[in-house]
Amino acid sequence: MRAGEGIAGAVPRAGLRGSGAWQRGAWLWGGIVAASLALAAWVGPVPVPKALTPDMAGWVSAALRWLVERADLGLFSFKELTRAIAAVIEWPYSLVRAALVDGWVEGRGSRARTILQPLSWIAVIAIVAAMGAYARSWRLGAFVGACFLYLAVFGRWESAMVTLASILIAVPIGVAGGLGLSIAAWLWPRFERALAPILDLMQTVPIFAYLVPILFLFGFGPVAALIATVIYAMPPMVRVTTLALKSVPPELGEFATMAGCTTAQRIRKVLLPAALPDLMVGVNQVIMLSLNMVIIASMIGAGGLGFDVLNALRRLDIGAGIEAGLAITALAIALDRLSQAYAARTADVPMSAGASGGWPRRHPWLSTVALVILGTALMGLVLPPVASYPAEAVITTKAFWGDLVKAINIRYFDDLEAIKTAFLTFVMLPVKRFLLALPWPWVLAVAAFAGWRLGGAPLAATGAALGAFVLATGLWEQAMTTVYLCGVAVVIAAFIGIPLGILAAANDTAGRVIGGIIDTLQTLPSFVYLIPVVMLFRVGDFAALIAVVLFALAPAVRYTAHGLRSVPPEMIEAGIVCGCTPRQVLTRIRLPLALPEILLGLNQTIMLALSMLVITALVGTRDLGQEVYIALTRADTGAGVIAGLGVAAIAIIADRLIAAGAAHARARLGLQRGTP
Amino acid sequence: MQHRPVKLACRGVWKIYGPDPARLLAGGARPDLATIRASHHVGAVRDATLDVGEGEIFVIMGLSGSGKSTLVRCLSRLVEPTAGEILFDGRDLLKASRAEMIAIRRHKMGMVFQHFALLPHLTVLENVAFPLEVQGVARPTREARAREVIALVGLEGREGHYPRQLSGGQQQRVGIARSLAVEPELWFLDEPFSALDPLIRREMQDEFLRVQRLLKKTIVFITHDFDEAIRLADRIAIMKDGALIQIATPEELVLSPADDYVADFTRHVARAKVVTLGRIMTPGPAAEVAGALPAHARVEAVADRIEGSPLPHAVIDEAGRVIGHVGARAVIDVLIGRRIG
Amino acid sequence: MTTKALLSSAAALALALGLAGPAAAQVESDDPIRLTLHDWTGQLVTTNLMARVLEEAGYTVELVQADYIAQFAGLKTGDLHVAMEMWETTGRQAMDEATATGQVVNFGPTGMEAVEEWWYPSYMKEKCLGLPDWKALNDCAEAFATAETAPKGRYLGAPVTWGGFDEERVEALGLNYEVIHAGTDAALFAELESAYQRQAPILMWVYAPHWSQTKYEGEWIEFPPYEAACYEDPAWGINPNKTHDCAKPRGPIWKVGWAGVANKWPGAAKAIGAFTISNAEMDRMIARIDLDGEQLDAVIADWMAQNEAVWQGWIAK
Ligand SMILES: Nc1ncnc2c1ncn2[C@@H]1O[C@H](COP(=O)(O)OP(=O)(O)O)[C@@H](O)[C@H]1O
Ligand SMILES: [Mg+2]
Repeated sequence: MRAGEGIAGAVPRAGLRGSGAWQRGAWLWGGIVAASLALAAWVGPVPVPKALTPDMAGWVSAALRWLVERADLGLFSFKELTRAIAAVIEWPYSLVRAALVDGWVEGRGSRARTILQPLSWIAVIAIVAAMGAYARSWRLGAFVGACFLYLAVFGRWESAMVTLASILIAVPIGVAGGLGLSIAAWLWPRFERALAPILDLMQTVPIFAYLVPILFLFGFGPVAALIATVIYAMPPMVRVTTLALKSVPPELGEFATMAGCTTAQRIRKVLLPAALPDLMVGVNQVIMLSLNMVIIASMIGAGGLGFDVLNALRRLDIGAGIEAGLAITALAIALDRLSQAYAARTADVPMSAGASGGWPRRHPWLSTVALVILGTALMGLVLPPVASYPAEAVITTKAFWGDLVKAINIRYFDDLEAIKTAFLTFVMLPVKRFLLALPWPWVLAVAAFAGWRLGGAPLAATGAALGAFVLATGLWEQAMTTVYLCGVAVVIAAFIGIPLGILAAANDTAGRVIGGIIDTLQTLPSFVYLIPVVMLFRVGDFAALIAVVLFALAPAVRYTAHGLRSVPPEMIEAGIVCGCTPRQVLTRIRLPLALPEILLGLNQTIMLALSMLVITALVGTRDLGQEVYIALTRADTGAGVIAGLGVAAIAIIADRLIAAGAAHARARLGLQRGTP
Repeated sequence: MQHRPVKLACRGVWKIYGPDPARLLAGGARPDLATIRASHHVGAVRDATLDVGEGEIFVIMGLSGSGKSTLVRCLSRLVEPTAGEILFDGRDLLKASRAEMIAIRRHKMGMVFQHFALLPHLTVLENVAFPLEVQGVARPTREARAREVIALVGLEGREGHYPRQLSGGQQQRVGIARSLAVEPELWFLDEPFSALDPLIRREMQDEFLRVQRLLKKTIVFITHDFDEAIRLADRIAIMKDGALIQIATPEELVLSPADDYVADFTRHVARAKVVTLGRIMTPGPAAEVAGALPAHARVEAVADRIEGSPLPHAVIDEAGRVIGHVGARAVIDVLIGRRIG
Repeated sequence: MTTKALLSSAAALALALGLAGPAAAQVESDDPIRLTLHDWTGQLVTTNLMARVLEEAGYTVELVQADYIAQFAGLKTGDLHVAMEMWETTGRQAMDEATATGQVVNFGPTGMEAVEEWWYPSYMKEKCLGLPDWKALNDCAEAFATAETAPKGRYLGAPVTWGGFDEERVEALGLNYEVIHAGTDAALFAELESAYQRQAPILMWVYAPHWSQTKYEGEWIEFPPYEAACYEDPAWGINPNKTHDCAKPRGPIWKVGWAGVANKWPGAAKAIGAFTISNAEMDRMIARIDLDGEQLDAVIADWMAQNEAVWQGWIAK
């Protein structure tokens, strides 16, 4: 917790308080740090009494066992209900899968006979390109088409379509579920209050923690993976929609009342359409998060690109891993751009064209696409390369990547080793030792105190209660290791990300390049770079740190750039008129005004860092992520859930403290932005 | 205007925001402003009582934050008053059930909003037809009706446009058309022209008067612009800090403001704009007249005619009876601001 | 091959004549038998081989991707039916827990033996004379050291979840080494790949059957051979005060599955029980796939062509 609160607490003071207040704040936090150092040196870690660590894991296991094996809803059991849900989802999934991958077959196994081929790769590319062109421009259509062409050319077509099929099912479910929940939240404020903490947990508890119960309840295979994906990807939709419904201009709501709308009419005909552009932002989020889940989903039977990545890495085929990983990136970026274009399109409604003529004339896009589908299907019967991309034409860069890593490994390993050793001995290990040596009562007190300073008694209570929960899990050491790893990673991400964000905001070309890199880093599964990182840095905390930093960098860059760009131009003009140098404009005007946004970026960075925890377990760290992972491999549901909740508790403490800090900063600057 | 039958009335209406509004009014208490503020409440509407006659344009005027919007929302029950009665055709609206309110709003009320509140995803035609759509009126019927009102506000040819493609003035015309689509008896307009440029605003006021001359609705019109109020109003209610300070015709307001606050508003108003012939005439018939003018004609409108004639004009009431006469001197007194009355 | 060709043409004929239903041999149930796939090649080979054989016998088979441990959830409920590789050395705990419920049964050994042991690449023999004997290890601790572990040697252990008692072994045998755990086996072999490229020192946990056996030249450390008493009785072995002063146990790779299989598809259960294959055969197939880049299906087809008598024996009535 300390790392988090340091960031949230100290930064706003640096830029914004009057110098007197700033000094007082600095003295206060300086004093706390000094006291902590002293305590770590002379008191050392205090053992956690047995009485404070009840067997929560056992309770959770028992409760879940009851839920899975006994829970009865009268006519049917809970499990029968979940199985029925799975069956309902399975149906459209197999349909989409048939259209994209399997085709329609008769019979099973080796006796299967194809009745209808799946869509030809040419048809799919034509469809997405047409969607791009329809939503925005030919350029976008070409870009999206090129992304999909990459999938074919690099021999990832079938896997990519398997992944696409699950995305096509998971996203509508996530969107519909998100809409339903947020409408309920809008209707009943009490429901909203109950929902808030659940959303927090859905976003912060690592998926591995609840994978096993999901498998029990929803059966094995793609549907369970779909459900896990939906759980992970839905919260932003709920948040965005709730906010969007609330920010529909009140006059529109009043108009709906005056027009005599019933509640249903008001929601369906007025509020949702009016909030549509915002809702599309939520849809975009759901798509991106679903793609983040591709790897984990493939571990429990989703197959597809995620499986390709895992399989390649199992064989240490770095090149194949990167190619499959980049295929995920290509898919993600294509879907991202498409959904953004659709969002923008719904925001500025088209001029009504109302072309006349027959159906094909009125729907030029649909008819073209239908023609391509039909044409490719018929041609596919005689020309196999039309039905499926010819294997001989597949390009691969596998050897290049393998050789590249090998060359770096042979040439630079020792230099990298020296850097790593220095960083470990002078930064990471001291921080780790310091945090692990802190007596837990002191840590809890500091968490509560930080909460009190930033958000008064309620936040202090939250901080203390969540801290106490972490203590009660009996995983204090692992929790502090988590704080250490994430803390160091976040600081580094901030040191790299904020300057990059400044650069991106200052220069358009740089902004585009950096944006591309950030997009790639965020969508490229971390598994892909984990192996090269291990090869160059060996297993251990440093490799984990690099993976976390790479993954968590994006929000630090994005929010900084966005914050700087959205400083009102008059403010900058005022600065220039006052004779500020460009540097002074940046440091005196733009950065301080962008501060709340930058803080939000840091907040997101922390959240992403924590969500990478399970991945760090794969390179052998000893933190809460590892506990979750161990629990998974032992199928110990209770232990997994409790360790996962521990991660969530840390995440929520950090989130609340920083949000309070950002709200302070915003209030001091008199900026408006819906404070959560 | 007392001869018009009362269409809408409110009696002792309060709307208090804050932690415990009911407690402040418990037992029929009537707390003053200071008491309300001291207990951390906001008295958005305090003890408002008024009658709106059928076919009357009743303007509520006050500075921003004085409670106009809250009061009009109490009248339409968009906001639930803390206390009081709202009588619509003699029936207490506050006692109507949810379903009854929906029915009343669907058929008897229309409202125009300051920021238009048009649905961005619907065309002009669909926007205007919307109130009929939610009632379940069939498409051909509702679209035919929508086209009628669109024509009434002069937007023919724009039916297929989206709100974004229209100027502010045009958007508000859509808002007006939409509020008229259901042929309401009661028409609420909350600062309908405040978001428009001054020139457009004038044009819209003329348009509004033209439409009203055709339709003769009962209107509650909110504005913070006193000039607008006197141009449009049959009667004006001045609001301050949630309370109605004075309800009177524009002429009465200007000539006998209830207090300094009202006087501040009226000081710069050219009298000729509000003073009617009835007010400045000499009672009784004149020996010889140039013509006849109605008693409710405003001086500004007829000044040229009276001044340009050597003979006085007869003043007649609504029944056409001569009730007095007026000459150039009386008109000039008004125009140059010499004391009258 | 002939049988297969015959069967498939029979199937085609049946379809052509519009005869629905099971075309080949009469089987107990036409419902698909679900076999789980994991993420290592050997397991894909065993599973696909078993699947192909079951299909030859007329069963309908479905292959489902599943996590090695998490799959027990499905095996217990009958959502999944057969898991072809459950290693004594890594899956014992989960397997025991599952079989204790009575819903999961052990279908017997696959014939392959899992080896897990300390391992080094051959080029280290020059830097550390006396290998593979474990007694040589302390003399060359320096050679196996890194900046972080020096002066101790560095031993890269498996993910903690795999157990293995390496800390205990180091202590019992008085080895001057520090045990560092990799988080996954991908990380484990990534380090090996990296060291092998640089011909740099490495001492680590390796298991077999695995492609690494074909790709890298190296040897197992020879510890005092394992006996059950070594792990239980401190008095056993060189160190009279400590357990684990010996090598790791080697153990079978088991087949496990849903208890209901034997009732629903008795013939299939028999075939699964009969399935065996040797380490050497498996190593060859893995290498052809992972190192030579051959297609899994082709490799399996070859094996089946060459060993027809063997697999026909599994499904013989
Ligand atoms: N929902 C509300 N909660 C609290 N105070 C409100 C609310 N709505 C209006 N008020 C307050 O009531 C007063 C009157 O507001 P309003 O009726 O909007 O004024 P006007 O329309 O004359 O500008 C204002 O002081 C305003 O702040
Ligand atoms: Mg208002």
